[in-house]
Amino acid sequence: MSTSTALRPVARQLLRASRTRNIPPTFLLPSLLSGAQQTSPFSSTSSTYYPRDNNRERGVSTQRRTGLRQPVSVSKTPLPKPVLNPEKRSKVEVDPDHGLWQFFHSKDKPMNTPEEDHAHGRPWSVEELRQKSWEDLHSLWWVCCKERNRIVTEAYERKRLNAGYGDAESKEREAMVKITMRAIKQALTERYYSWSDAEELAKTDPEINLSGEGSVYTPKEYAEEDLLEEEEVLGEQEETSPEKNVLLEPEVKSAEKPVVSA
Amino acid sequence: MAAQTVARRAPRLGNKHVFLPNFTLTLLRTPKLPPTFASFIVPLNLNKLDLRDYLWNCYGVPVRGVRSYIQMQKVRQDKPREKRPFPRKWFRPRSIKKMLVEMDQPFVWPEEPKDYDLWDKVTYDAAQKEREDNETQYRPGARELPSSERGTIAEQAKAYLEAKEKWEAKQEDQWEDVGSAVEVEQDVKI
Repeated sequence: MSTSTALRPVARQLLRASRTRNIPPTFLLPSLLSGAQQTSPFSSTSSTYYPRDNNRERGVSTQRRTGLRQPVSVSKTPLPKPVLNPEKRSKVEVDPDHGLWQFFHSKDKPMNTPEEDHAHGRPWSVEELRQKSWEDLHSLWWVCCKERNRIVTEAYERKRLNAGYGDAESKEREAMVKITMRAIKQALTERYYSWSDAEELAKTDPEINLSGEGSVYTPKEYAEEDLLEEEEVLGEQEETSPEKNVLLEPEVKSAEKPVVSA
Repeated sequence: MAAQTVARRAPRLGNKHVFLPNFTLTLLRTPKLPPTFASFIVPLNLNKLDLRDYLWNCYGVPVRGVRSYIQMQKVRQDKPREKRPFPRKWFRPRSIKKMLVEMDQPFVWPEEPKDYDLWDKVTYDAAQKEREDNETQYRPGARELPSSERGTIAEQAKAYLEAKEKWEAKQEDQWEDVGSAVEVEQDVKI
């Protein structure tokens, strides 16, 4: 305890034989002494009591591909490698009845050739469609919808691939489908107008009952009709006779008036 | 309870009645997506539920889920297909709505054709190039552009300079010997 605690480390350095080469010059001794006095450790606990860092993942990096610090149970299993070449990948089995096949005209190529697109018939005309039922027209409309989806999908693919000619043919084909769809709408519109006209007529028709109670249509038989007509005619004559009198009244009056005045 | 579970398993469908749908779906080739996904270009007024019902009722495709997004298009000058767009006449093309559908069963597009002879691609490309070349002649500043022969002239000049080719005068370029000079007007008296 002869030397002060501040002086001890410096003295130890000076006394150590291995560090003789690193002995600072004597004129730096005051600065060394003052520096040794100012040092103080961050913690009073000795550094040997705690590890360097609490981070368990220290040194593990995905970017540097270090791997884990210790092997795990799956370490021996080789990882599957992605197949970068799309030609070497295994083929996906597609159901031949998959609904999306209906977006194509054929299964072997993504779009029709111009010849195939051109091989179409004429559109349905309104005259033909007037004879069809609503079920037929409705199903034909859906067929047209699907055909348009097909044409549009293939046109998009042709443009994307920059395949060549075929745009004009597909447009022609789509025009035919659109004409058919327009004819369907026209037939249905005509049907609606004739129905509404018939409804107007039915309001004044005595054979048709629109009240919703009883049968809608009660046809009159011919024999009854004839009798009824005769009765009506007789009835009308009876009814019209007073009317005639009423109508004649002013004439009578006018004939009588001069008499009265006279 | 059993009836309820069965009802939950069945494909849920809406009851919106559309008798005469008048729109088109465009199926897109999506090689980077898993095969159980399909992408469509749909009209802007179609929603996810409509697409699910449409695909089930029209194509019989059960759909697990639909994702949709609308791609806004870039602002450009003048309408599309305008050869000389009018400046400061701004136009934004209509947005494109795409829907991504997840299906139960995978579907893969048919392969791209190897050669495009049936579509006459060679003629098509040649015609397109011809048209483009023709159009460049009528563009503003077309006269300042270097001529198409410039490259071949430079090649030829380089070949002469490096003595790979020897210049030979053509027949019409050579002088023709027509004898000595003759005064035309000989009987002129001054």
